[in-house]
Formats: sequence, structure tokens, C-alpha cells
Amino acid sequence: MIRALFSAASGMNAQQTNVENIANNIANANTAGFKARRAQFQDLLYQNLIQPGAAATQNTVVPTGLQLGLGTRAVSNEVIFTQGDFSETDNPLDMVIQGNGFFQVLQPSGQLAYTKAGTFHLNNTGQIVDPNGNLLDPPITIPQNALSLTIGSDGTVSYTLPGQAAAQQAGQIQLANFVNPSGLNSIGQSLFQQTDASGAPVIGAPGGADGVGSLMQGYVEQSNVSIVQEFVNLIVSQRAYEANSKVVKAADDMYQQVNNLKQ
Amino acid sequence: MDQISVLAAAGMQSRMQSLDLVANNLANSSTGGYKSDGEFFTLFSSEAAGEDASGPSSVPMIQRQWTDFGQGLLEPTNNPLDFGLSGKSFFVVQGPSGPLYTRNGNFRFNNTGALVTNEGYPLLQQNGQPFKANTAQPLQVSLDGEINQNGGSIGRIKLAEFHNPTDLTKYGANYFTNSTGQEPMDATGSQIYQGKIEASNVSASHGAVRIVGLSRQFEMMQKAITISNDMGKKAIEEVAKV
Repeated sequence: MIRALFSAASGMNAQQTNVENIANNIANANTAGFKARRAQFQDLLYQNLIQPGAAATQNTVVPTGLQLGLGTRAVSNEVIFTQGDFSETDNPLDMVIQGNGFFQVLQPSGQLAYTKAGTFHLNNTGQIVDPNGNLLDPPITIPQNALSLTIGSDGTVSYTLPGQAAAQQAGQIQLANFVNPSGLNSIGQSLFQQTDASGAPVIGAPGGADGVGSLMQGYVEQSNVSIVQEFVNLIVSQRAYEANSKVVKAADDMYQQVNNLKQ
Repeated sequence: MDQISVLAAAGMQSRMQSLDLVANNLANSSTGGYKSDGEFFTLFSSEAAGEDASGPSSVPMIQRQWTDFGQGLLEPTNNPLDFGLSGKSFFVVQGPSGPLYTRNGNFRFNNTGALVTNEGYPLLQQNGQPFKANTAQPLQVSLDGEINQNGGSIGRIKLAEFHNPTDLTKYGANYFTNSTGQEPMDATGSQIYQGKIEASNVSASHGAVRIVGLSRQFEMMQKAITISNDMGKKAIEEVAKV
């Protein structure tokens, strides 16, 4: 009996996690470079009340036993790395990655972090930085008097100076790719960190032979959250929560009746 | 104890176990690849039942559960590493102590490029080996389970089908184990849909109806015990009055 109560409670907990995950997805529906997450569930262990194959009599065995499950748990919420929509911004330092790969930025701690959000800016020394001020890695500096800035699909950053016809190269943006991007650790601010599960980054030039995507200047990648999908999930999750609460109620009623047996 | 109380108490106990099953089903209504459980009632007959003709000597009990292996809905997820399975077969993964079977087609790459489950158990290909994929390249899965990368095949997903899937035992974490040792057959008529995942086949409305039924049956049996107690009380207090 306690089993039913705890199974239902585990179901309610799991649905709560689901709703929290949906809420975060919807809240980030307008975050550039955001990737939606999807919660995954698993059934818990089973109690074998009657073991399959146990002897029923001296000559026969139980063909299948009685297994009672103990509920569910949220096991992971993996990042869905599908491409988001592109929106044109005409900002020369906005870039999208068409395909796999992450921009690398250097955090103040000296550690590299990885991001899909290609909204970059220049800081007061002319270096390309992300909206939080983290330096793009490898660092690229644009002189103050540069007129136009062009980023090629292979990541080559070039600019022209006043009075010069030829473009100057400032450097080449390198992208990182991971064997298992779902294993990356989200650290907020649209940044990811490498883990043992993600494997070490494979660094390559955009559009190169290493399988990383190419760059497109002047666009921003929208989040890949589908509002319709999230709302459908929300309805399903809410109903499942309700069903589990009904089990709690039924179990409680049964208990009450057992208690009433003794008059 | 009198017959009515024994019978009704056994009935109450088995309804409680039924509710346990319903609770687990509903708790897993969002678990990918989960298969709902039902119960099989039987009559437990005591040894004396054959000789004793004075009344019922058998009580209801749940003998075993059965698992509904019906197809769950294939939900689109847009994740290229989600494989939705239609048909009667199972994915085969290499568990820590032998093969495990699952309908949950949510895989990911591990850091060596093998397709693994959430626990890190590798998905097996037809030849019994884990896959080795180039994770930088997109991956296409055909309906018959052939995985293609860069225009070439890197192997075919192994699917197992069981003559009698009720012999499979639930292992937890969406896995089944083959408890009776029957040889799995090659899959026939199963198809793999990339970018979809098979949802749990638990029907919430069915669960709700079951809860109502169980609650009412439980109530009736509780009433039966109360009436039986009253009868006993009357018999002792009033019949024996001198």
C-alpha cells in the first residue's frame, strides 16, 4: 500500500521536473543560441513478490512472477542540438554556425567555455568578446580605425583601413566540436563546459574537413524551442500530475477504510 | 476468523496490490518505451478445499502481473539519435551482465563514438558489436535499422523479437531481461523511425477508471467485513442471551 503512495509521489516529482524543464525552455524561447532540453524518465526497480521460475509445487514452476514497480524518476534532460531559425541582424559581429560546432570563449578564470550564441562585440581594446565580456578564443583584435569588417564562411576575419584598397586579415575563428555534445555541462549565460562525457574538443576551421559547420555573418541563431511543442508537453505533464494525485487520494481512502474496520 | 472476513480481507489485500500496479503505470506515463502492467487474479485453494464441502475455502489473490506490450505512440523529438521502434521487437544493448532489451530508443554518443543508452550500455549491431560512428558527421537511419554515415553503411541495428514476450522480466530503467533463457528470434516487420521516440503506452483514462473500480470494490469488501463483524456481534450478544 505504501508502494502505491510512493510510486504516485515519484510520478508527481517527475512531472514537476518535467514542468520545470518546460518552463525553462519557454522562458528561453527568445534567447539567441539557446538549445531546448527534454526531460527523460525511467522506471525504478521492481519488487519481486513472486519470483519467476520459483517452484509452485514439487513438479511445477511459476511461469511468470509478480513484480510490482516502485515508480519513476527523472534521469536526464538532454540538450537537443537541432539548428534554430536564423534571423538577419546586419550586425557584422553576429554569426551563426551552420552545422556542428561551438564558438570558444575564454572565461576570466582562464578556462575555455563553448557557446552556440554568435552575438559578439568589440571591447575597449578592439578585441572580439561575447556579451559577457569573455574573449573569443583564439583572440582577434580589430583596430579602432577599421572601416568594414567581414567574416568569411571559413571564419577568416578581415577589415579595411581608411585609404587602403587591400583588406587586412585579423585572424581566423576556430570552432570546437564534441563527440557527445549532449554531455556538455551548461553553466548559464548560454555557455557550456566540457566534461568527461562530452570528450575533448576537436578544434577546426569553420567549414573544414573536421565536420564543423561554416559561419554566416550578419545573422543570429534563434533558440530552437518550439512553443507549440512545449505547450503540448505542458498539458500532458499537467494531466499526468493530476492522475498521480488521484492515486494518492485513492490510496488514502483505502487506508481510511482499513482504519475504520476496527469499530 | 470467519469465512467472510478472510475472503474479504484477501480481496482487499489484492486490490491494494492492484493499486500498486496502477500507481506504477501512472507514475511512468512519461517514461519513454514503458509498457504498462496489468494483473492476473487467481483463486488460492487451500489443501482442505477438496474435502471440505461446507463452504468456500479459496481466496482471491494476484498470481502474476502481465505486461501490455502494445505499441506506444511515436512522438517526434527532432533528435537524430532518438530511434522510435514500431512492431514487436526490442533494441539489444550490452548490459553489465549480459544483454538487456529495451524499447526506449533514446541514444547518445559516448566519448568513443559508440551509440549508448543513458546508463552507457552500448547499442549492439547485427554482429553483436557496438557501433563506431564519426560523431562529426550526420547520421541517417533507414526504416530497417541500417545506419548510414557519409553515404556508407556503418552497421545495422540488432533487433530481437520474442516468441513469448511475457517471459521478459522488467529490470528497471526501461530495460527487460530475458529471465527464462528463450532464444530471441530475428525481428520481422519492425521499423525504426529516426527522430522519434516511443512514448509510454500507459492510458491515463484507463488508469483513472481502474482507480475508481478498485476504490469501490475495496469499499464493498470493507462493508462485507463490517457486516460480518456485526453478525458475529449479534450472534454472541443476542442469541446467547438467557
